[in-house]
Amino acid sequence: MSRGSGGGYDRHITIFSPEGRLFQVEYAFKAVKAAGITSIGVRGKDSVCVVTQKKVPDKLLDQTSVTHLFPITKYLGLLATGTTADARTLVQQARNEAAEFRFRYGYEMPVDVLAKWIADKSQVYTQHAYMRPLGVVAMILGIDDEKGPQLFKCDPAGHFFGHKAASAGSKDQEAINILEKKMKNDPAFSFEETVQTAISALQSVLQEDFKANEIEVGVVRKENPVFRVLSTDEIDEHLTAISERD
Amino acid sequence: MGDSQYSFSLTTFSPSGKLVQIEHALTAVASGQTSLGIKAANGVVIATEKKLPSILVDETSVQKIQILTPNIGVVYSGMGPDFRVLVRKSRKQAEQYHRLYKEPIPVTQLVRETAAVMQEFTQSGGVRPFGVSLLVAGFDDKGPQLYQVDPSGSYFSWKASAMGKNVSNAKTFLEKRYTDDMELDDAVHTAILTLKEGFEGQISGKNIEIGIIGTDRKFRVLTPAEIKDFLDEVE
Repeated sequence: MSRGSGGGYDRHITIFSPEGRLFQVEYAFKAVKAAGITSIGVRGKDSVCVVTQKKVPDKLLDQTSVTHLFPITKYLGLLATGTTADARTLVQQARNEAAEFRFRYGYEMPVDVLAKWIADKSQVYTQHAYMRPLGVVAMILGIDDEKGPQLFKCDPAGHFFGHKAASAGSKDQEAINILEKKMKNDPAFSFEETVQTAISALQSVLQEDFKANEIEVGVVRKENPVFRVLSTDEIDEHLTAISERD
Repeated sequence: MGDSQYSFSLTTFSPSGKLVQIEHALTAVASGQTSLGIKAANGVVIATEKKLPSILVDETSVQKIQILTPNIGVVYSGMGPDFRVLVRKSRKQAEQYHRLYKEPIPVTQLVRETAAVMQEFTQSGGVRPFGVSLLVAGFDDKGPQLYQVDPSGSYFSWKASAMGKNVSNAKTFLEKRYTDDMELDDAVHTAILTLKEGFEGQISGKNIEIGIIGTDRKFRVLTPAEIKDFLDEVE
């Protein structure tokens, strides 16, 4: 009789289970959900917007140091959903890789190339026992010279896809359902529509209205392809526009 | 290769003499999306389902069929991230061969080297086998060729083969329809019909991928428009 469950180690390191699954990778996905926040990204006609909850667990914490939105280069942004410590490692490595790319090849690292690099690194963690997968889902945004606005999502399994809209975190499935309805007919959103779709989708998912300092919003626009985090005033304007619209 | 702390293999023999990690890897392949390949008299066709997790995924950002050299293409069933690693390694090996011999690498050699990589990961320390089976399609001086490589690193040449979820139905279908003197266009039609057999939902140019190589020895992936033309012919 064959040894069924890998000696019980299939839950501890990334080896196959009898059903051909990788439990450590599945647990990494659960760690992303356990962080308790939901993120949403939307790609418009000439801009990309990502939005995430900003939960400050303690009033004594310095709010400005709590963030999940990271610039990788001037033109590329990364929204990390999941374990904050793993997110910082990922961001550090991504920043290093993007800077080396720019130095080596003389042009800015494109969005899909960075996404592929992150995904390939994540795949290594799923195949080698000495490192566990990171508990982070990364959404990368930027404007590509040839393809225009791009939004990519990379997960702990090493998958990466380009998205018209994406979600991650504890309520990602509900968010996807809402976004599928909104984007069913391939709409070409303007910048304002893109931002408001993202924010209002997050509001519907969490069923609460936000104040400007409870969410973080990051954008890139074709007319100004720099990755930018919106200030609380700008977020307020969009929130007002949404509530007036409804 | 091997990872320092894990200088022992994770794939070890069971009392009955089986390598269970490889069996589990094959289970992972068998639960992947269906893919198939057919060798015609004047070329090879490979095809796969391309089911994406949501309509929000941009299908142009995903390509499951990849080119290894101008005259060799490959498709997989199983875990996408593992496939990317093998594609990268194979492309490098093909380039290294070319640098040494100033000749494009023969299909059998590339298959052998890729299979050797897959075998390494079943024996080295601290790593697990690849969760993919590959179908390699190529055209070189020996003519059109189709090879299947499994997670164990074993490979065979096939006239027609299928892998993934619908493998048994697909293979039965192929056995009935295959003829040795098939032309490439007939093979494409047969490939589409085989995929259609087990397809859930409406088949279209956007949820399958087809790659072909003919006597011109240039492997290429068909555009959704070309697939649509073939689909209309099949109707």
